[in-house]
Amino acid sequence: MTSVAQEKQRFWLTFGEELCQRPIICELARSFALTFNIRSAQVTQRTGLVAIELEGEREVLKQAIQWLEKQGVTVEPVELSTIEG
Amino acid sequence: MQTEFFTHLRCRECGRPYPPEAIHVCEWDFGPLEAVYDYEAIRRQISRKRIESRAPTMWRYREFLPLEGEPTVGTQVGFTPLIRAERLAKALGVREAYVKNDTVNYPTLSFKDRVVAVSLSRAKEMGFTVVACASTGNLANSVAANAASVGLESYVLIPADLEASKVLGSLVYGTRVVGIRGPYDKVNRLCSEIAGKYQWAFVNVNLRPYYAEGSKTMGFEIAEQLGWRLPAHTVIPMASGSLLTKIAKSYQEMIDTDLVEKTPFAIHGAQATGCNPISDAFQKGTELVRPVSKPQTIAKSLAIGTPADGYYAIQTIRKSGGAAEDASDEEILEGIRLLAETTGIFAETAGGVTVACARKLIASGKIPREGSVVLCVTGHGLKTAEVLAGVLGSPRVIEPSLREFDRLVSSDLAETPIPEGPGA
Repeated sequence: MTSVAQEKQRFWLTFGEELCQRPIICELARSFALTFNIRSAQVTQRTGLVAIELEGEREVLKQAIQWLEKQGVTVEPVELSTIEG
Repeated sequence: MQTEFFTHLRCRECGRPYPPEAIHVCEWDFGPLEAVYDYEAIRRQISRKRIESRAPTMWRYREFLPLEGEPTVGTQVGFTPLIRAERLAKALGVREAYVKNDTVNYPTLSFKDRVVAVSLSRAKEMGFTVVACASTGNLANSVAANAASVGLESYVLIPADLEASKVLGSLVYGTRVVGIRGPYDKVNRLCSEIAGKYQWAFVNVNLRPYYAEGSKTMGFEIAEQLGWRLPAHTVIPMASGSLLTKIAKSYQEMIDTDLVEKTPFAIHGAQATGCNPISDAFQKGTELVRPVSKPQTIAKSLAIGTPADGYYAIQTIRKSGGAAEDASDEEILEGIRLLAETTGIFAETAGGVTVACARKLIASGKIPREGSVVLCVTGHGLKTAEVLAGVLGSPRVIEPSLREFDRLVSSDLAETPIPEGPGA
């Protein structure tokens, strides 16, 4: 059996009013085999901003990000824009 | 000269100290890391006279830059002209205007040479042999050129659909250019993964704390060239927002080290309307910068939808009593023309943004008409000349006949009579 490499990635998650009451991180954890580690979070009635570290298999990480984006969460690497003019 | 002025890195959010390595975010809260200096030691070491005795490059402010030894890359960069622009001031309706002209920065005609000079010098100090960046233009050109000048190997990552003319400006230096297919956010995500995986000096990722400090030199130069005083108003184009925060930092550092008197300085930010996450948040009175997923503006060098320093830029603008504006594509083109016709400076689209936003800030009274303003113009117009196609009209063509030329000049004179005075 070959072991699949684990990866660790760091993201900023941002979401608007429509998601602030939804337990989005809990749903993420239940749906995907990932370890998550919230580093800082600021959630108000209108916006959410969460710094999170996700660890797991590369494919699972990719699927989790896609799922988050489908729910309306903006997922950005902590590097934010690495492409400059 | 081994300097003891740059001491370490520190998280901008929680203040935790970090060693001066190739790292850019705090392990605890992902806050950005920033270079820390011993300002007391700098104050004892430095003086106006001492700076004035040094070569006219950005390195005359060496003590304020995050290197351990002497710079080894881009040693000729900086000290670009600050010009008094009387005709531009008149057109903008303000008493006094200056242009900080980084269109003639050496070697690649944009302010990016400043940040790249610092980051590559630091990369060499730390023993990196490969340097890299992801860019759509100016940064790529500067990394490629400066790396080539000292024999560093370089990788430049670009979106695959970038115009050929922009790619040439990097390819010519022999850099390894890699085009990545897909929408901008996917390209961006891959770039950040590559930066994490390969142990290269990614100038604006793992070397960001060093890279960003290079922008301060634009501010130091402005103050020195104004006769060692701070401008009351400075208008700065914003992409990531880093340049704006660093020019404000440079002004503060000059106050803290007794190089200038403490006078109020308002910092104003300029963006393109088609990608205005920072000016939009400022105008809405929030600090939450909403990403722009599909930037649509001719000012490509400012089209960063998720600006890394957006939050800090807004704080800086508010704290200094400044404001933020944005300009449409049409206004940007008008700005480029106005600058060219009144100062003889041909700026890229970002320069048009600065001029157009300055005009709005003056019209709305955020910059007082009786005041004085410095406009930061960051890149040369030849880099984005294609945006002017069809805007400027064409030359009038005549047969090789003096009579035809006489007729043409006569009709010009009929439209615009020569003013009376000597020679008329």
